[in-house]
Amino acid sequence: MNTFMASSFGPALPEIILAIGVLVLVLVGAFMGNRSNWIIGTASFALLAAALLAVGLTPPTRTTIFAGSFISDDFARYMKALVLLGSAAAIALSSDFMEREGFARFEYPILILLSTIGMMMMISANDLIALYLGLELQSLAAYVIAAIHRDNVRSSEAGLKYFVLGALSSGMLLYGASLVYGFTGTVSFPGIASSLQGEASIGLILGLVFLSAGVAFKLAAAPFHMWTPDVYEGAPTPVTAFFASAPKAAAMAMAVRLFIGGFPSITESWQQIIVFVSILSMVIGAFAAIGQTNVKRLMAYSSIGNVGYALIGLATGTQAGVQGIIIYMAIYLAMTLGTFALIIGMRRGNQYVETIADLSGAAQTHPWRAFCLAMMMFSLAGIPPLAGFFSKFYIFAAAIQTGQMMLVVLAVIGVLTSVVGAFYYIRVVKIMYFDEPKPGFEKLPDGAQAVLIACSVVVVFFWLIPSPLVDSAAHAARSLFH
Amino acid sequence: MPDDALFLISIIALPFLGSFIAALLPTNARNAEAWLAGLVSVGVVAIAISFRPVLAAGNVVRAEYAWLPEFGLNFILRLDGLAWSFVVLIGGIGFLVVLYARYYMSPADPAPRFFAFLLAFMGAMLGIVVSGNLIQLVVFWELTSIFSFLLISYWNHNQTARDGARVALTVTAAGGLCLLAAMLLLGRIVGSFDLETVLTSGPRIVSHPLYLTMLILFALGVLTKSAQFPFHFWLPRAMVAPTPVSAYLHSATMVKAGVFLLARFWPAMAGHEYWFWIFAPIGVATLLIGAFMALFQQDLKGLLAYSTISHLGLITLLLGLGSPLAAVAAIFHIMNHATFKASLFMAAGIIDHEAGTRDVRRLGGLYRAMPITALLATVAAAAMAGVPLLNGFLSKEMFFAETIESHVDTVLDKALPYIATIAGVFSVAYSLRLIHQVFFGPPAKDLPRQPHDPVLWMLLPVALLVLICLLVGILPGPTIGNFLAMAVHATLGPQTPTYSLAVWHGFTPALFMSGVAMIGGVALYFALQRYLSGDVEGVPILGALKGKRLFERALVFLSWRWARELEQNAGTTRLQPQMRLLVCVTIAAALWSLFSRPGSLDFTWPSSADPAFVLVWLVGGICAVAAAYQAKYHRLVSLILTGGAGLATCITFAWLSAPDLALTQLLVEIVTTVLILLGLRWLPKRIEGLDPDMTPKARLRRVRDLLIAVAGGAGLAALSYTVLTWPIGNSIASNFLERAYTEGGGRNVVNVILVDFRGFDTFGEIAVLAIASITVFSLLRRFRPARDSIELPAQKSFQNRFDADRYTGGKDPLSAHYMIVPGLIMRLLFPVIAMTAAFLFMRGHDLPGGGFVAGLTLAIAFILQYMAGGTRWAEARLRVLPARWMGFGLLAAAATGAGAWFFGRPFLTSAFAYADIPILGKVPMASALFFDLGVFSVVVGATVLILIALAHQALRVQRVSSDAAAAPPTEGSR
Repeated sequence: MNTFMASSFGPALPEIILAIGVLVLVLVGAFMGNRSNWIIGTASFALLAAALLAVGLTPPTRTTIFAGSFISDDFARYMKALVLLGSAAAIALSSDFMEREGFARFEYPILILLSTIGMMMMISANDLIALYLGLELQSLAAYVIAAIHRDNVRSSEAGLKYFVLGALSSGMLLYGASLVYGFTGTVSFPGIASSLQGEASIGLILGLVFLSAGVAFKLAAAPFHMWTPDVYEGAPTPVTAFFASAPKAAAMAMAVRLFIGGFPSITESWQQIIVFVSILSMVIGAFAAIGQTNVKRLMAYSSIGNVGYALIGLATGTQAGVQGIIIYMAIYLAMTLGTFALIIGMRRGNQYVETIADLSGAAQTHPWRAFCLAMMMFSLAGIPPLAGFFSKFYIFAAAIQTGQMMLVVLAVIGVLTSVVGAFYYIRVVKIMYFDEPKPGFEKLPDGAQAVLIACSVVVVFFWLIPSPLVDSAAHAARSLFH
Repeated sequence: MPDDALFLISIIALPFLGSFIAALLPTNARNAEAWLAGLVSVGVVAIAISFRPVLAAGNVVRAEYAWLPEFGLNFILRLDGLAWSFVVLIGGIGFLVVLYARYYMSPADPAPRFFAFLLAFMGAMLGIVVSGNLIQLVVFWELTSIFSFLLISYWNHNQTARDGARVALTVTAAGGLCLLAAMLLLGRIVGSFDLETVLTSGPRIVSHPLYLTMLILFALGVLTKSAQFPFHFWLPRAMVAPTPVSAYLHSATMVKAGVFLLARFWPAMAGHEYWFWIFAPIGVATLLIGAFMALFQQDLKGLLAYSTISHLGLITLLLGLGSPLAAVAAIFHIMNHATFKASLFMAAGIIDHEAGTRDVRRLGGLYRAMPITALLATVAAAAMAGVPLLNGFLSKEMFFAETIESHVDTVLDKALPYIATIAGVFSVAYSLRLIHQVFFGPPAKDLPRQPHDPVLWMLLPVALLVLICLLVGILPGPTIGNFLAMAVHATLGPQTPTYSLAVWHGFTPALFMSGVAMIGGVALYFALQRYLSGDVEGVPILGALKGKRLFERALVFLSWRWARELEQNAGTTRLQPQMRLLVCVTIAAALWSLFSRPGSLDFTWPSSADPAFVLVWLVGGICAVAAAYQAKYHRLVSLILTGGAGLATCITFAWLSAPDLALTQLLVEIVTTVLILLGLRWLPKRIEGLDPDMTPKARLRRVRDLLIAVAGGAGLAALSYTVLTWPIGNSIASNFLERAYTEGGGRNVVNVILVDFRGFDTFGEIAVLAIASITVFSLLRRFRPARDSIELPAQKSFQNRFDADRYTGGKDPLSAHYMIVPGLIMRLLFPVIAMTAAFLFMRGHDLPGGGFVAGLTLAIAFILQYMAGGTRWAEARLRVLPARWMGFGLLAAAATGAGAWFFGRPFLTSAFAYADIPILGKVPMASALFFDLGVFSVVVGATVLILIALAHQALRVQRVSSDAAAAPPTEGSR
């Protein structure tokens, strides 16, 4: 029995740890109610740490289990580690928020953990069914988290919108999956890949289009981005921080697995779709963000734009492109979580404020926080030597390396939109440094402070020792192109 | 060599380290800051000088560190003659600026910030010149943009300083991104990011198809940084910076970064006509426009700013010409310009400092009050004008000589000597104006302060620079000869031409041009003197050419108005349009992929169809469409129509010989319809049909939605049809058909799949069903009906009134008679239906039926009882509670599964045998039957539990309405 477990369930150990842990925590919560908040919060961290350890101990070799549905390789390990760290940060960010806003519930960390299991499944999915299961587990938990502040109209609205649109897009994805299955006779990615010889049939292409629509929705890439600003604005800030971080990485990993793992021989067919989505996301992310007054909406558009950049890497379909994506997502996570840690600190006179104008003159009232936020903004704008520059650099370099005209043009558009993007990021800096100061904010909660410090270190000092991240990303990318 | 590497890295590291330390010093430590910054600059120059012998021999010093190895990117430092001369310029003038700034900055200004930024800027600038790697170069390039932004906005309480800094940053940082793109392209063309390799692959670069694209991007980067027309507008705006900053940024550094890059890549890129056609016209335009506009400036620093633009145009033009001799002239002029312009800026700062104004018209006759400053400024201005025996003369002479040469045989080339002379005339005129109007003429009367010469330390830097101007001008060979030779040789390598650095070349055309420029300039100034001293603001003719305003307007349009409009028109926070967009985009994407490629869907119409079957489908389809149409207006009708569509599905299953599916579908239809019907009661009232006063716009909207629906529906149907008619590969279905009886012991394949082959799935599903019904129950337990649905439905209250009128005389309460006949029938039906359920259950393994179907059937029996007798009556007689049904079912299923363990088999392995039961005869007894019993039990329990939850609403509402009558409406929600 033991050898059986070790041999066949071993690679899924992180997921199993989390799943069993969550079930136990649900029971604890159910019997103890909200008194158990701190136990569950602490235990969630422990579980995430245990899962991270298990991910670390997973052998780097490529193994598939559950009849090939579940794959474990370097790519999966890397992305899972990223997702676990993102989820842990999301829980840490919520530490004081819920109490202060009066809706502390033990369900929150549990839902995050459930969502994390879903994300890890997405990352390790090696067939369409596993992918869909992971996706739904992630999404369903996310819908509930979006509406977790039930007495708040905006939060409820965010949850409802997310749910309705998410259900629609899941339907599309499922429809695409069934078309692909219908025309290839298999759901497993390697199976699909090997059944595609020569010209793809039109039905398969349609299936691919629907699949892409579903994936684009999960990534919040234009033109399926409409929900993002509303949900980001409406959901409580730690929840928004969560949405903007780990699920993005997981969805990107899923897209890589799906397109590069499942359809490697018909790259041109999906490349066009990805290029289109990427351009539209970058343009919308850059231009629509300018008019925003709410920080969370701004970050929503920023995330749309960032997904657009990361998709350039996917559009290349090369190992360098995937490496670019991996690095991009890691650095994006650090920048986003750091920024949200600061947004959570925007509390003044017993309530949270969210407009950009509220930051005015923060450099004088909170020099360190303003400095960190300025670094985050400069990094998001892609200004060297901050980490954000390198993430863009790897992506653009990968696009240009391919030498395809379309991708070179894509990279040029990327550079141009990042100029526009720089405009609004730097505007935040300008408001903080040059405008008349407003009354100070309250003390930053410990959780947010920890996240902020970690993220700032990554963003500011990445250029000193880039190799750990970059090298492991190279390994991860290589594992996809065995 | 390791020592070299250490020294090389400290050229960059020193300033950044200094910057870091400077930032940590206390606010008032002006002297410490100045010492620190001064030592750093001196250190940089000293290191540079230590390298001189190596470089003079024509060598290149390199140091490499691993940086991003897997991208082939190393952190490379590379020092050659050109870089060396820039290091000396940056360090040397940096030192003088620091000295000057120590006395210029007021004690109230925060010193750490100033010196920290200045040193960091110096480090970034040094980083550009010693970078041996293209990407690294861009990194430092962008750093200079950022630090110049911080320096320009140093007095950040001042709105114009912030604006100026912002414009400078936007323009130069955007240019930097273009440069990044250019460098990536260049790296791709060459195959390496190493500068060494790039410099030696000139022919390959020039002949590459991407050359032009790369060159344009490169030009955008370089021209924005060097403030070339039409990007020149940021530079005058940056004059709001403290004067030491201006002196540094606009003489030896920032703006020189652009022309440095031009010189750096000159050997690699200049060998093509495109190079000439991009840089020469822009250089000419900038040269003329800058010189012209400088003449009409009333602000001392503005005048210097435009003259800087003009001189940079000159350098760009020289480099753009593409001839080695011109490149020599350009490099020489870069050095000369740095010295005299730095000293002039410092002099302007002194005047501003002492007199309190920089307006040329208000100043005058200052030579009396500040003779030393006047003398120094005059010499520097003369160098700028190109007066003989000063350094400016030499490089200008070379420039004039070069314009006469023919390069690319065009009109532009032929016109160059005249253009150069005209620019020279203006240059002389504005230099003369600067000196004459400020230091000579009638003394100014209403100056804010009483001017006098400043402290010695402030004059010293100016004096040193002016001295260099003089020395170079008089003795060019011994002073600057080697210096220039090193730089030129490093730049041009084997292409280095022979040139001579002499004051006197004899009577050459260039000398003649100089003479014309001198005389013309003096004449022009005195002709315009009256006009210029008058109350004129702005520049004639070219004044309309407001680059800055165009830029800002473009920025506002691009970044603000368009963005807003885009968001207003394309963005929405409403759910409906968002869904519409989602659907439309998907339809469009599908259509696009359908039409964008040859070939079509293999769409084969069925050869024949039974009319009756088609009719069933027509009815079903109509029901479905009508249900969708009525969904908003009449839920009951819509629900019934949905039932019709479901019925069509049932018939289809039966038609296609799947009676078991048909049976299941039918029962599911019945149960769900009834349950939804019960739930409908609590939804808000229905909307009465279409609004007759609907606007045409609303009608159009509905038509549009209809079209979307038709397109989406038709597309999905077509696709589903294609997939269904697609030849099936190796499906698992035949496998199930083969093994159902041999291994599962049943002929009803569906049932065998449910309870045996996929028993584990079913086990999970019944667990989910149980959980779902408990969830429904607990959610509805707290349900509070909406206010408007508390009242009795219209038809019921109507009936009640009718009954009340009719039976007022009777003794029994009305409810005793309510539905008495149907109620009785339904009660009698209960055992019959239960029997049917048992029958379906028992035969399920072989014939249509099974636990799921039987469970639904029994549930229908319960539903009938509720309908007939009412909630209270039915529940008073409910013997087995639904939760127990479900619990028993789950346990039974689990026990059956676990039973297999006792026989050493995996969970849920089934066994079957035939049991001989009296009367009934041989009955198949698969172990799966017990499992099926569990399924049956869970289905009954779950359905009844949901039924109870819904039915209880009726009781609660009565309570609510009676409470509402008795008590305030806030109470009584439970």
